[in-house]
Amino acid sequence: MLFNIGYLILVAALVLAGFGVVVGFAGGQQRNQRLVQSSFHAVYAVAGLVGIAAVILWYGLLTDQFQLTYVWNHSERALSNFYKFSALWGGQAGSLLFWTLLLSLYSVALALLNRRQHQVLMPYVNAVMLATSFFFLILLVFSANPFKQVAFIPADGQGLNPLLQNYWMVLHPVMLYLGYVGLAVPFAFAVGALLSKRVGNEWVRTVRRWTLIPWMFLSAGILMGSQWAYMELGWGGYWAWDPVENASLLPWLTATAFLHSIIIQEQRGILKTWNVVLIWLTYFLVILGTFTTRSGVLQSVHAFAISDVGPLFLGFMIIIVFGFLWLLFKRLYLLKDEQSIDSYSSREAAFLGNNWLFVSITFATLWGTFFPMFSEILTGERISVAAPFFNKVNGPLFLLLFLLMGIGPLLGWRRTGMKALRQQFTWPLIAGVVMGVAAIFLSPNPWPSIGLAVCAFATATIVQEFVRGVLARRTTNNENVLVAMGSLIRRNGRRYGGYIVHLGMVMIAVAIIGNEFFQQTTNVTLAPGTKVELGGYELTYVGLETNRASNRTEYGARLIVHDSDGKMVGSLLPLRNIYDKTPDMPTSEVGLRTTLLEDVYVLLNGWEGGGSTATFSIYINPLTVWMWIGGLMLILGTLIASWPHPVKRTTSVPSGAVAVAGD
Amino acid sequence: MTDTLPDVPVESVPATKAVLIWRAVFVLIPLVFIVFLAMRLGTAKSEHRAEGLAPPLEFTTFEGEIINLDDLRGQGVVVNFWASWCDPCREEAALLEKTWQREMENGIIFLGLDYLDQEPAAKAYLVEFDVTYPNGPDLRSQVARRYGIQGVPETFFIDPEGKIVDIIVGPITSQAQMDNYLDKIRPKEK
Amino acid sequence: MKIRFIPFIRILFSFFLFLTAFSVALAQTPTPTPDTSAISADQVNAVARGLWCPLCSGVRLDVCELKACDQMKEMIAIKLAEGASEEEIKTYFAEQYGPQVFGQPPTEGFNWLAWILPVVGLLGGGIFVWYGIRRMIRPQPGVTAAQDAPSAAADDYSQKLEQELSRYD
Repeated sequence: MLFNIGYLILVAALVLAGFGVVVGFAGGQQRNQRLVQSSFHAVYAVAGLVGIAAVILWYGLLTDQFQLTYVWNHSERALSNFYKFSALWGGQAGSLLFWTLLLSLYSVALALLNRRQHQVLMPYVNAVMLATSFFFLILLVFSANPFKQVAFIPADGQGLNPLLQNYWMVLHPVMLYLGYVGLAVPFAFAVGALLSKRVGNEWVRTVRRWTLIPWMFLSAGILMGSQWAYMELGWGGYWAWDPVENASLLPWLTATAFLHSIIIQEQRGILKTWNVVLIWLTYFLVILGTFTTRSGVLQSVHAFAISDVGPLFLGFMIIIVFGFLWLLFKRLYLLKDEQSIDSYSSREAAFLGNNWLFVSITFATLWGTFFPMFSEILTGERISVAAPFFNKVNGPLFLLLFLLMGIGPLLGWRRTGMKALRQQFTWPLIAGVVMGVAAIFLSPNPWPSIGLAVCAFATATIVQEFVRGVLARRTTNNENVLVAMGSLIRRNGRRYGGYIVHLGMVMIAVAIIGNEFFQQTTNVTLAPGTKVELGGYELTYVGLETNRASNRTEYGARLIVHDSDGKMVGSLLPLRNIYDKTPDMPTSEVGLRTTLLEDVYVLLNGWEGGGSTATFSIYINPLTVWMWIGGLMLILGTLIASWPHPVKRTTSVPSGAVAVAGD
Repeated sequence: MTDTLPDVPVESVPATKAVLIWRAVFVLIPLVFIVFLAMRLGTAKSEHRAEGLAPPLEFTTFEGEIINLDDLRGQGVVVNFWASWCDPCREEAALLEKTWQREMENGIIFLGLDYLDQEPAAKAYLVEFDVTYPNGPDLRSQVARRYGIQGVPETFFIDPEGKIVDIIVGPITSQAQMDNYLDKIRPKEK
Repeated sequence: MKIRFIPFIRILFSFFLFLTAFSVALAQTPTPTPDTSAISADQVNAVARGLWCPLCSGVRLDVCELKACDQMKEMIAIKLAEGASEEEIKTYFAEQYGPQVFGQPPTEGFNWLAWILPVVGLLGGGIFVWYGIRRMIRPQPGVTAAQDAPSAAADDYSQKLEQELSRYD
């Protein structure tokens, strides 16, 4: 009964969303205050309804209502409450409901925070957000009903996919969805700007924070996915260029490009057309990514089970492409450049270079991801495009990008004279060359040396910026170093927060270089008491340990780790989990010892005779922890950059002035 | 940086050729992409196995003999795709061999195509089940691709005129079932 | 000339029969596999790291746990024991399974497009941006921006800094 109501609630939300789209667009166009208010109410109402539907599904999960197909498919009695809760986004229909829930919450936040500002844009923004909700509600109501029931009540459910029964795997989709969904907001503003013909800096300035925050979540989500892959999948790596992984990366790339190029529009009033195209591309890639993971067009280890949502997605994508392009072409005459670029050695040019590289990487990744599909349709042959392709194509491009990331802050706006160039570039170049030369001794391969040199260069640039800034504040304000740093960050969070984000990216790059080029590995079978040596460590196998958990048995092989001096530095317990419901789908837990310099990473492959021998894969992964530290820097930097300051906005309209002529 | 107000006397200029070309590019590329996606969706649903006239089939057996389907016109041909690492294949291996022994004089021939496999493991498998009908590796999965198989085991029953009559996905476990399929491809008595 | 030799001929005949049967039997047994116990798992994995599982999507051979992949690794061990080089082993697998074991499209025929299009896109985009900037750069009649201040002193710099910082506010 309750679940039938749940379905009806979704239907009601669908209708209200449709209504909201209409009144939003109409109200915006006619500047009709009542219609505009209606659109706000629609946003709140849809959010409320979707929220209730989600709560009902959660109730079903937490109280083991196995007559619901979704609960039966993704939960079981023995599952812990934590995982029952997270099972909401463990399967197709539930995760679509979760997507819609987050979208509604974003829409509400957007509406509430802007109910007295941007009064011309907001009705359109509401309409676009509701249009997206409308699409997802169509999926839920017609194609992926989370409240589908059977006539009887099964005794127990199938259980949650073992790979999802992991802390990171619970958090990763949440972060990812918060990122994905949030990127609809800047797009909504872009559409609003175009429709209302207010294509100047109002929408760009507003959108900066509303892009930064989803970008931060998306970055965190991608990194958490990598973290999970590293800890759970047990191949010593964290990114496989799998289609679903690429699907999350593509909008991240264009969103990052967008974040940079709107700075140019703000400063110089150029690239207006490019910016709306870029954010449209981001939105399209978000929908494409959501489509790819659910429709079965691409083979992937991550994909959801194939369902019927595919054609509906294609329909929506056609609307996105044609609808937006039509709007863009109509408004193209308004998007003229106000000024120009004055020199190649300017920050604008560097940002354009940044955009060029980001878009090229996006295109190359998109092409590589979908090439097997093109190839199969056109030639009938199934070609696999995996890490070798992407590393060869994207590797050099990312290298150039990091170089540019170092160069950008060294250039001035408009132009940088020779003297300034020499001043700015000297120390970073020296740092880069020194690191490059030092790194040559580490590996015969030139690539890691070049990579590390570029990272050193970029780091030196950032450090130099901070040093100069602190020095400047000390001379003018006579502050001590810490206070100077603090006020730099507080006074100019955008710039210095950005630098911290860049620093985080450099750390991630260093971790990638370490893992990719300097990894050591071995595969051994050991009897208790015997040991193996790798990378200066000695690992001794002690024995097999068994532990019984609520829905699985954990088999662990104990290893004692000694360093080259013979000192004991750790005890590792790599695990194999055999789940009761799915014994042929075991999962592994890696035995991990992390230091700033390297990870000792052990996987239990198998064992004989209750532990009389055990087979291990052992990896020494240099510098991997810097990926996670870099991720934290990324988040810190973004928070600093997006921290709200009480700044006067000249474009905010007082609430009573909507109907004033000349608006 | 001022906002452009709607009353600014900027008019829509007729589009130049360059702009039109850009527009065409921007519209066509996503459109083509979506068309490809649609095509892929279409084929993902229907597993497009071969049907009608059996596609060309030629392979070299493990003993070095070249077998071509065209030479086998006039006989009923049973083409079985298998692999040594495939557990369900083991369920039907004995049945296939037994039926071959029984039917080899009756104008029925069994062919085994080894899919994505290694020779030592494959030969060990054949020895284990005493398989005597022609078996060979499907190099580069050429035949598998032409026949559109989605996995192993899959068995194609081809009649004496070269037409595919039945496709069985998964192991054939009963003799009765096997005889049922065989009867449809027996050469006609003169 | 005949009867006296019969017993001898009988023995000779059965000896030849035995020889034939023995060689036939010998021909039936598979060639003995080379001793792979000297090949370590690490040596196999070193080769396996350059290959991709043909049955999965994007799983490298050294980490693939499928039976088919185990057999491939056994094959690598056998070939290494026979003295084959890494190149030869990779070529062998490509002949068996097709180019999908390399995890990247081959550079021939239609698949060449996979490699060339990103390069074309990169270069095309680059040229477009380059000329776009060039078109925008108007000739400077002599007024260069104030950013060209020659002094490296902290005062000047801090002035610049304040100027720039205020632009962001």
